[in-house]
Order: sequence, then C-alpha cells, then structure tokens
Amino acid sequence: MNAIEINNLCKSYPLFSMDNLSVNFKKGYITGLIGPNGVGKSTLIKMILGMITPDAGTIRILGNSMPEQEVDIKQRISIVSDDCFFYEHLTIKETGKMIAPFYSHWNDQKFKSFLEQFQLSPSKRVQDLSKGMKIKLALAIALSHEAELLIMDEPTSGLDPVFRREMLDLLADMMQNDNHSILFSTHITTDLDRIADYTAFIHNGRLIFNEAKDEVLERYAIVKGEMQLLDTDIRKEFVGLRETSVGFEGMVDNRSRAQELFGSHALLEQPTLEDIMYYTAKGVSVHA
Amino acid sequence: MLNMLRKDYIALKSSQWIVILYLVVFSTVFIPRMDMSMYFVGIYTAIGSIMLATMVDIKNHNHRFLITLPINRKHIVKAKYLTAIAYMLFAVFSSFGIHWLTIRLFPLLDKPNYTFNDIIISIGIILLLISVYMPLFYALSHKSAAVINAVFLVALIVLAQPAAQFIHWLSEESQWQSPITLFVYPGILLLFLVSYLVSVKLFSRRDI
Repeated sequence: MNAIEINNLCKSYPLFSMDNLSVNFKKGYITGLIGPNGVGKSTLIKMILGMITPDAGTIRILGNSMPEQEVDIKQRISIVSDDCFFYEHLTIKETGKMIAPFYSHWNDQKFKSFLEQFQLSPSKRVQDLSKGMKIKLALAIALSHEAELLIMDEPTSGLDPVFRREMLDLLADMMQNDNHSILFSTHITTDLDRIADYTAFIHNGRLIFNEAKDEVLERYAIVKGEMQLLDTDIRKEFVGLRETSVGFEGMVDNRSRAQELFGSHALLEQPTLEDIMYYTAKGVSVHA
Repeated sequence: MLNMLRKDYIALKSSQWIVILYLVVFSTVFIPRMDMSMYFVGIYTAIGSIMLATMVDIKNHNHRFLITLPINRKHIVKAKYLTAIAYMLFAVFSSFGIHWLTIRLFPLLDKPNYTFNDIIISIGIILLLISVYMPLFYALSHKSAAVINAVFLVALIVLAQPAAQFIHWLSEESQWQSPITLFVYPGILLLFLVSYLVSVKLFSRRDI
C-alpha cells in the first residue's frame, strides 16, 4: 500500500514546470526525496500539503484525496520544514497550547518530554530560537500527535551534526511501528544513506527514479577509464560524463551493460546518492 | 472553528492593549471635536483592530503554518470574518459606552444622545468596510496585504469628512420602516456574505 499516490501532476511557472509527474511513496518506509535545489522538491511537497494548487493531476494521501479530504488527511500527517512559520511573538508553551486542540490525538506529555529532550525552554519565544532550535520545535510538535506520515522538507539543513544524528535516530525509532511512513526531502544525501529505504530522485520537474535505495546504488555505477574508450555511441550510454586530459569518469544507470561494454578496460565503482545526483544534474557535458 | 478562534485569541492576546489604545486615542481626538464621534471612535477602532487581526497571520508568513493544521482554507477565512465581527461589536459597543459616560460625566461637551439606531449605522458601515477589505487581503500576497492596510488607513482618514456627511444623512433618513432600513441594511448583509464567499474563493486559489 502507498502512503502517497501522485498521478499526472502538472504545475507551470514562468521559469519552471512539472509535467505529468506520477510517483508513489510506499507506506511503512522512509523515502528520501532528492534532487538539487530548485528542481521541484519543495513544489511537490507544497502541492502534497495543499499550499500550492496543481494545474492538473491527483494526489491521494493515506488513501484519501487531496484537497477533498484535507482535514482528515492532516490529522494523520506531520510536517517539518526548514522554514519555520510559527507565530514568532509566542512562546513555545503558547505555540503548543495553540496547536494542541487541532489534533484529536495530541499527546501533551509526549510534547513536554520532547521539549525536555531537545532542551527547549517552554518560556522561550519562537523569535529567540535559532534555526536549528526552530526545527527541533517543529519536530517536537510533529511527533506529538501520533501522525502516521511525517513529511520533512529539508529538515536537516540548519542542524548541528549532533542533533542531526539524534533526529535520524528518532526517525528510526518512529519506524519501529509498521504503520508509520516518512517522506524526507533533502539535498544532504548522507542523511539518506543512513536511514532511507527508498529514494525518489526529481530533476527539472521530472521523476528520474523511485526505487529501493540499495537497488539504485547497485544499478548505477561510476566508470573510470582512458579517453580512447569513448566514442559517440559510448558517450550516449552515460547519464553524466566528466572528461579530463588523462581520462574520463562517468555515471551509467545500468551497471551490467557497462560491464559488457568496458569489461576489464575500465574501473567500475559503486556511486553514492550524491554522485548520482551530481552526474544526473550535470549530464554529459561535464568537462574538467 | 472554535480552535481557529482560540488560535486568534492566543496570537492576539499580547496585542489587545493596542485595541484599548485605539479606543483612548480616537475618543480623545474625536469626542471633543465632532458630534458624530460615536461613529468614528467605533469605526476607526474596529478597522484598526481587524487589521491587527489580519496582520498577525502574515507577519511571518503564518498562513504557511496554518495551512499545515487539520483545517481547510475556508475555516481560516471564516474564523477571520468571525474575529472581525467580534472586534466590530466590541468597538461599537465600547464607543457607545464611552459616549454614554461622557454625556453623564462631561455635560459641557454637549454631546447628542445616541440611540440604538446609531449603533446599527456604525455596524452597517463597518460591515461595508470589512466586505471591501477582506477579499483584498485574501487576494493579495504577503507584501501587498501590508500595502492594502496602509492604503485603507489613509483612505479612512482622507474620507472622514465626506463619510461624516454621509453618516449624518443616513442617521436622518434611517428610521425603522424607512426605505433605507428596508433596502440598505439587507443589502449590506448580502454584500458581507458575498464578500465572505469571494474571500474563500480567492484564498483557496492562492498559492501560499
């Protein structure tokens, strides 16, 4: 079953467009949504949350349609974003008091315990919190109402390494319950190396892949070799290619095909998610 | 809906003194100078307070936070209209109370005796202003909404004199069972309802 089902989603802006994007995010897993800045990750998340109205297409979350069943859906989901839009003049305690009545499963005890764990003083005003502390507050709120789906938009970008690791552990704890799902948008792919089960890669408003992370890492390969190995047809096999005076380094999305083509003449290495993102974004025109 | 009103109460709690300040300032300015001060104290305080209530939601792009709560955009708009009505009633009745006290404590000011009709006229004018202001607020972006507030306040000050003449005419014409009462007030209520529906539509279409 899918936590989120997106079908033929379209949105056009003067400098960016998303055309017929269809993607499903599985229930019970952590899916990392990756892609460079400005390729449509946040636009997609905003459309999922109803902040942006799609030009066309449908969105279903936890089996319900957006925006028709928006209120029911939002009872069951949580959002953590690197942009914090809480009321700045309120204290953390007032913010909690304001939000609590909206959720039927709000757990005040849990909220207080997260504040303690994250070392957030209830009497502190939101405007006096650092960016990292605001994300901690958003996370405390998100985890205090028994949400089934947690949607995180670049949540780790303002966090110190210690809390980043702590947060990833918290997410892993949350996933002990099979009913929970997480959609984690980021361009810091090392976070996903640690916790993601699936990875969806978006580039220029298009879905490049949405697969189990380990399968992606096995399917893609970095090929390193000498320039003589390259010709026009071979170049077409690469997702991204970086040529230097001493040789080339490129990314292919079919490891076995690359093994057939190059045999022992080239070196094949397993890429990281960051490598995949880099080569896909740069394409075959990369020259060092 | 109750949660949204509660949200407004918590968000606005620390700025309620500004509403009282409006009452004090507008009473001091208008009561000694104008016969129709009861209208102006009520109208200016109400509009100032309503702007306070709308601005609190856009100061830090708070609509982006509100939209993540288990409510829809219609709830957000409806709650703001209800908050506006609450501020309107508070401002009009406070103005009436202040004038009632002024007449008794400072007879030398020679203020006219205000009636229920004057309360109704004040409410009608404020409903009219809300009906124009709210759709503009919900149609425009964060920055433009702040501009609209400034323009609205300036317009209120500039139009004070013509408005005074209109109110004077309205208070003379407006008696129960007169054509004015029969057509204008239901018309204002209808406009208010249409304004709410338009605001919902505009806000629902807007990307936040």
